[in-house]
Amino acid sequence: MNVVINPAEARPIYLQIMDEVRRALVVGTLTSEDPLPSVRHLAGELRVNPNTVAQAYRELEREGVVYVRRGQGTFIADRGSVDLDRGILARGVAERALLDAHRHGIGVDDLLGAIRRAAGSQGDSMRTETE
Amino acid sequence: MDSPLDGTTFAVTTRALAKRFGRQTALDALDLQVPKGAVYVLAGANGAGKSTLLRVLLNLVRPDAGGVEVLGLDPCRSGAQVRARIGYVPEGPESGCGWMPVGRFLAHHAVYFPTWDPDYAARLSRALEIRPERRLSHLSKGQARRVQLVTALAHRPPLLLLDEPTDGLDPVARDEVLGLLSEHLADTGCTVVVSTHLVHEVERIADHLGVLRAGRLVAQTSRDRLAAMLRTYRAEGPDGWVGPPDLSGVLQRRGHGREIQWTVWGDEREVVERIVRSGGTVRDVARLPLDEAVLTLLRSKDLP
Repeated sequence: MNVVINPAEARPIYLQIMDEVRRALVVGTLTSEDPLPSVRHLAGELRVNPNTVAQAYRELEREGVVYVRRGQGTFIADRGSVDLDRGILARGVAERALLDAHRHGIGVDDLLGAIRRAAGSQGDSMRTETE
Repeated sequence: MDSPLDGTTFAVTTRALAKRFGRQTALDALDLQVPKGAVYVLAGANGAGKSTLLRVLLNLVRPDAGGVEVLGLDPCRSGAQVRARIGYVPEGPESGCGWMPVGRFLAHHAVYFPTWDPDYAARLSRALEIRPERRLSHLSKGQARRVQLVTALAHRPPLLLLDEPTDGLDPVARDEVLGLLSEHLADTGCTVVVSTHLVHEVERIADHLGVLRAGRLVAQTSRDRLAAMLRTYRAEGPDGWVGPPDLSGVLQRRGHGREIQWTVWGDEREVVERIVRSGGTVRDVARLPLDEAVLTLLRSKDLP
């Protein structure tokens, strides 16, 4: 897993880290029983406050995405499928797109139409995700 | 602007702290509250009083009035004990030791701190590419900064006071220092007060903010509370619309035709409701990056 965050983005960094873990699950670079990097390691790598990483891990634990093995670290929990995580990520993407559309005075129907047309013109490279 | 959370213990507090240099007011009625374990960014322009405040906490400057408590001690009475428990990166270079080679300077520094960890000092020196044979007086500003960072961190003090720690560092060294600081925080859980006029450089590790203007603390808050309370709102309305008459906590207002943007300290739902009630359509509610938040707080005349 390679965690990428953008501090300039309005979203709090701990939420970005949570989404990065979910993204790794959905694309398959993390799977159940895989260890997450230690709080110290990830904080040092991202140059963020370790409390921020710990907060992300705590929230993921509360949601059942990861579990803590005492003295050993944080591991991905076995939940059978990643559909739930894909749904949560998709909702986040949708909410951000809707906000952006509203900012530009674009309604839901116009946005949906534009997404379909854009997906159509981008061809096969992006469509394989859902099929 | 902010009251402390119940049950918070503070590593550093000042009460009605004041300091004058001749006719110049350096610090004025200053109530600083740094929670234990916080990374507290002290922001402000050059000359706002940041360095003086840090020096008061170390009892290197005597206050004229007010109370100071650092790690449960009064620095005016127990200056040496307080300084022994603080890692300090001063604003300027160390004076009087210029002839010393860096390695000797570090060894000289180590004897003052019982908790000095020579292995850690060596590890930090390697990471920061410090050359022990160089004389202090021959170091560039950035190289001297790296040595000061080693002396501040290597005894793992419960409190770090960093006065413009990235000043003079090139981008690569700055990035390295931030990584070392993150790891240091994870290992020690220490409290940090870091003064800077370049807030974006420490934005990733900051969790508390104090804004100093002309010796006064004009804002003091946690990042969480700042993110929840300080937002920009962009809305448009009918011809001649001037927005709600009853909007409080406005720090900045900008109008372009029928579109108005406010930066407001307040509850988002209440602000949006008032804008909508006055006939506006809210297009955009956004948080401010830390450096923009500081700019807004520094510029605004009336603070909530």
